[in-house]
Amino acid sequence: MNTKKYLLRTAFAGSLMLFPTLAFGQTTNNVSIEALLQRIEQMEQELSGLKAQVKQANSKADSANQNAAAAIEKAETATQEAKTAKQEAVRTASPSTTNNNGSDTKWHLAGYADAGLVITDGDGQDTFTSGKFNPMFHFQYKDLVLFEGELEFTTDSEGKTDVELEYSQFDIFLHDNATLVVGKYLSPVGQFQERLHPSWINKIQGAPAGFAHDGVQPANDIGAQLRGGIPLGSAVLTYVLAVGNGPRIGHEGGIELEASGNDDNNNKAVTGRIGFLPIANLEIGASFLTAKADGIDGMGVFTPSNADFFLWGVDGAFTRGPWDARFEYLNGERDSLFSAHEPGGDVELLPMMELEAWYTQLAYRLSGVTEHPVLRNFEPVVRYGEFIIVGSDELREENAQKRLNVGLNYWLAPSIVAKGGVEWRNFKVVGISSETLYQFQFAYGF
Amino acid sequence: MTNRLCNNKSYVWALATVFMLLATPSFAADQTSKPDPAQTARGAKAWAANCARCHNMRSPKELTDEEWAISVTHMRVRANLPGNVADDIIAFLKASN
Ligand code: HEC
Repeated sequence: MNTKKYLLRTAFAGSLMLFPTLAFGQTTNNVSIEALLQRIEQMEQELSGLKAQVKQANSKADSANQNAAAAIEKAETATQEAKTAKQEAVRTASPSTTNNNGSDTKWHLAGYADAGLVITDGDGQDTFTSGKFNPMFHFQYKDLVLFEGELEFTTDSEGKTDVELEYSQFDIFLHDNATLVVGKYLSPVGQFQERLHPSWINKIQGAPAGFAHDGVQPANDIGAQLRGGIPLGSAVLTYVLAVGNGPRIGHEGGIELEASGNDDNNNKAVTGRIGFLPIANLEIGASFLTAKADGIDGMGVFTPSNADFFLWGVDGAFTRGPWDARFEYLNGERDSLFSAHEPGGDVELLPMMELEAWYTQLAYRLSGVTEHPVLRNFEPVVRYGEFIIVGSDELREENAQKRLNVGLNYWLAPSIVAKGGVEWRNFKVVGISSETLYQFQFAYGF
Repeated sequence: MTNRLCNNKSYVWALATVFMLLATPSFAADQTSKPDPAQTARGAKAWAANCARCHNMRSPKELTDEEWAISVTHMRVRANLPGNVADDIIAFLKASN
């Protein structure tokens, strides 16, 4: 545009310059005509030079236009590529066979890990706890079935890595209010095992007395469950009914409430829990487990017999805003039976054994009283509980206790927590001195 | 002159198109699963009522649509949520992340 204008202006100026001279020439003498002709010739040359420049400028403008068009084309290709890359990135980040919404199979990797330190005034050493690494896998096919599996990696006291299959189950969705679960699953008894034990959920490092290994809380089982929730007006009723391999007679004649790969007898364990939520913040539950366990084979005049085991429990949870209050009670009774304490040992009559455990826990998140960006993440927590054992002196000596925990948690994110706490264990058997543990843990649920 | 002006204009349009194209993937994805506002509202309520009962609530932004779909299905089993309630919560989380 500017070049053209420039040319026009120059031509105009040129002709203006030309006219006076011409007029003057005509009216004066012929001698200057030659000079004029020379000038004209010169100007013609200048003009053709300028024409060439204009041509050049035009062709430059054309090529600039072409360049712009090419740039647009390139930008469009880049956009298309970015679009494809974005789709690809989404696909890789949350891999599925097609895209976010349309794929039949979805999968997801989740889990949790923790690391800690325990300082004790008891017989044990102060120790960094290796912590757990629990990867969890989910595969879902449409709304039909979800497979969920969780492994637990820990380091034992010899330094070896222990791997356990926490659960591995198919959840088959039969109906809005009924899901069939088959495989190895966490025990649906009470709340702690199924809902609270992962370290990013558990507000205190470790389980309440009687709710961990060698306790009365069943850990997991292999079998089938039918479970679901049924709305009753604004309330909800939840149910779980399970049939599994059930418990075995364990160490020191106690009862081992853990899944075994195959049943020790033909009698299946039946477990159930009913939960009632009159309002969303409050849940009251009742559980039971009934099973038979076979005595352990060994030496001596007696042959092993089997025993009935019956467990019942109640639980309650109130969660509202910064408040989290819980209570659980479990009571298990194993009949007397003939059994060895361990395989190959002497078979003897083990008396009836009763196990009873309860705890209550209260936590309060300071976000309820302050908006301060740091203070609001603190959560003081207190838990008190008891584990009572009748009928086995050995187990009583090891585990029967009253336990008080006081802790302070700092939540870095909804599923990342740093915990600090003190645990007082007051053993019930006279002569066993009480113990104080200082516990620190960092846990992340991902 | 007009020609050049024309080109300028088309350049502007081309740029606008580029931006629109850039913006389209997410827009298009949203359109395929266009949330039903009533379901989203029910889902928001159910999410608030159910998802902080056992553990802290995570921000809807923490997971992708697909991850939420799986996690909430997982929670449907763990927390014994009726299936339609879980669906509402999924719809809400997908619309809010
Ligand atoms: C009945 C207790 C309970 C309720 C209610 C509950 N969760 Fe969970 N949630 C858990 C437990 C337990 C885990 C850990 C599972 C594990 O490690 O085996 C978990 C894990 C998760 C995870 C981690 C990834 C995964 O899928 O395991 C997310 C995300 C999550 N819950 C979101 C939710 C949402 C959203 C809701 C509301 C629909 C919800 N939870 C309600 C108990 C619950």
